[in-house]
Amino acid sequence: MSGLWLVARREIATRGRTKAFVIGLVISALLVGALAFLPKLFAGPDSYTVGFVGPSTLQPALTGAAKDVEITVKPFADEAAARKAVLDGDVDAVVVDDRRVFADGEVDRELGLLLEGAHQTAQAGRQLAAAGLDAAKVAEAMRVAPLEQVSVGADTRYAGARTGIATLLVMLLFFQLLQPSMYVAMGVVEEKGSRIVEILLTSIRPWQLLGGKIVGLGALALLNLVVVIVAGLGAAAISGFASDMPPGIGGVVVSTLFWFVLGYAFFATLAAALGSLVSRQEEVSSVLTPMMMLIMAAYFVSYFAAVEPGSPVARILSMIPPFSSMVMPVRTAAGEVPLWEMGVAAALMIIATAAVLVVGARIYERAVLRTGARVKLSEVVRDGSAVAR
Amino acid sequence: MIEIDDLHKRYGDKTALAGVSFAVKPGEMFGFVGANGAGKTTTMRILMGVLAADSGQVRRDGRPLTFEDRRKFGYMPEERGLYQKMKVSEQVQYFGRLNGMSAAQAAKATADLLERLSLTGRAGDEVGALSLGNQQRVQLAVALVHDPEVLVLDEPFSGLDPIAVDALAEVLVERRTAGVPVLFSSHQLDLVERLCDSVGIISAGRMVASDTVEELRAREGRRLLKVVVRDAAPGWTAGLGGNITEKGDEVLFTDVNGSDQEILRAATKAGTVEHFGWERPTLTEIFREAVA
Repeated sequence: MSGLWLVARREIATRGRTKAFVIGLVISALLVGALAFLPKLFAGPDSYTVGFVGPSTLQPALTGAAKDVEITVKPFADEAAARKAVLDGDVDAVVVDDRRVFADGEVDRELGLLLEGAHQTAQAGRQLAAAGLDAAKVAEAMRVAPLEQVSVGADTRYAGARTGIATLLVMLLFFQLLQPSMYVAMGVVEEKGSRIVEILLTSIRPWQLLGGKIVGLGALALLNLVVVIVAGLGAAAISGFASDMPPGIGGVVVSTLFWFVLGYAFFATLAAALGSLVSRQEEVSSVLTPMMMLIMAAYFVSYFAAVEPGSPVARILSMIPPFSSMVMPVRTAAGEVPLWEMGVAAALMIIATAAVLVVGARIYERAVLRTGARVKLSEVVRDGSAVAR
Repeated sequence: MIEIDDLHKRYGDKTALAGVSFAVKPGEMFGFVGANGAGKTTTMRILMGVLAADSGQVRRDGRPLTFEDRRKFGYMPEERGLYQKMKVSEQVQYFGRLNGMSAAQAAKATADLLERLSLTGRAGDEVGALSLGNQQRVQLAVALVHDPEVLVLDEPFSGLDPIAVDALAEVLVERRTAGVPVLFSSHQLDLVERLCDSVGIISAGRMVASDTVEELRAREGRRLLKVVVRDAAPGWTAGLGGNITEKGDEVLFTDVNGSDQEILRAATKAGTVEHFGWERPTLTEIFREAVA
């Protein structure tokens, strides 16, 4: 086992110290962090400054009604001062004598609704009082509980946020599965092509070398993923987007990490087995083509699942390995997934990953010492006696 | 003792080894020579377990070699393999640790070896930044770092300058003196002759000779008789047996077939005999003869 850890440590030390890794980590964290500010940027402000000219009964109604938004009140002596403040952008709107509203162009939509509501309340109260009714009693009588929304279909309140998070997840998983798998294949070919593998394999077993490489590069990818998630959630907390996030985001994070580990083990082992067939870096991309196509297919299905998480295609492919490693976490983020579907997907993927580990390790072991021309997969499977062990 | 016993190996329909056997004793430096493609590398790869023989066996002290045995071997493959982007010192330590050394042991062994191989100044450089000769020294350090019980080196001297050759030779002699069996292949026969106790000559997958250098030379040695006669009357060799090559006073006889004493009598009669004796062939001559 110590051989495996030594190999893993070397991978982490050499890859983790490269500029490419550090820069990639910082950029992806910044990018995802910036994305968490986007919804707020487009959703408009959640605080307004409203000016008032003359005495106002609308003002208490306005500040009392606004729960989600913050209203700052600014009194003005006359209309001229109010106009100037509006034009200078010091205030979002000015209420004049509870009858007119000054704004630069149209009043902000949300503020307009708030002002209209407050105006209704204040005006109705005044008119009722004028008709001889007790204001307090009127207010009591007018208090109405808001309508309770019940969705008999899926919970769609957070549909937008869910789709956004799921789409982001598609890209994140795609890169964090593809890139480290490529590094695994390139590392395998580097060792095979330079014959370092001949020295390595007189010191440690093939499974230790292969396992260490996969574990080491996987640890870096996991670190990358965690940093990006933490950056995203942290930025969301700062930007206030976190309050708009669907409940159960912790579950989405856990599911993402779980599926990443399985998916990475699957694709990285596949990449290592395929990589061990060739001896030159130029041949890596062609020998990895089948794996790339598999990841690309999973990528496109995941995109579809992010938008249509409940569609039959998304539901079925989210249970079939290796697509499930990307589609299932994306579906989990995009909508509700029945527990049994998760269970089936996980069981199948664990079986598939175990199978790839066993077969891939065998291919690697048989092919990695056969330098020279590209090794045919059929040769490796047929001839087990290539290496004395 | 390392015994290689009747190794056979075919690549497709091409026979690489057709019964290769020899042995390397503890404290013996064994030179493995042969033309390109004769089977040296194939034999050494089978010895190191990175290639499987079709038949035959490699034994150590009478029992088949295991993975654990080979971990204690130092190996330098034919095509040099190092991580180009890894620093010299880190790389040598890494291989030491893979062979079971503790971090402290590996660090100390690495520092000592780099010192021996005049690489201390380059310890912090990436291997790829070193000259090929220096990379070769690092390769040697990798093979030696874990204080191996057996050394198997494929062409360790190729591409080295004379100073590096001497440094490497010194290290190998030191290991040999410490009782380690050292097996290396080389095309530099003068070097093999100078360093090795025993030599194995392989040709087309078969061992054509394998013995101590002394024994080989002695066996091949009674073939060339050199006679130098000062002030000899011309034509004194007329009527003597064997093939004769004359060069001034010096006469070389081959295929003498037991008529050496007759030649000596003729020589004393002809003039003052300055030299009379069997020529010891060089390893190069033995090699040419053996693979011809």
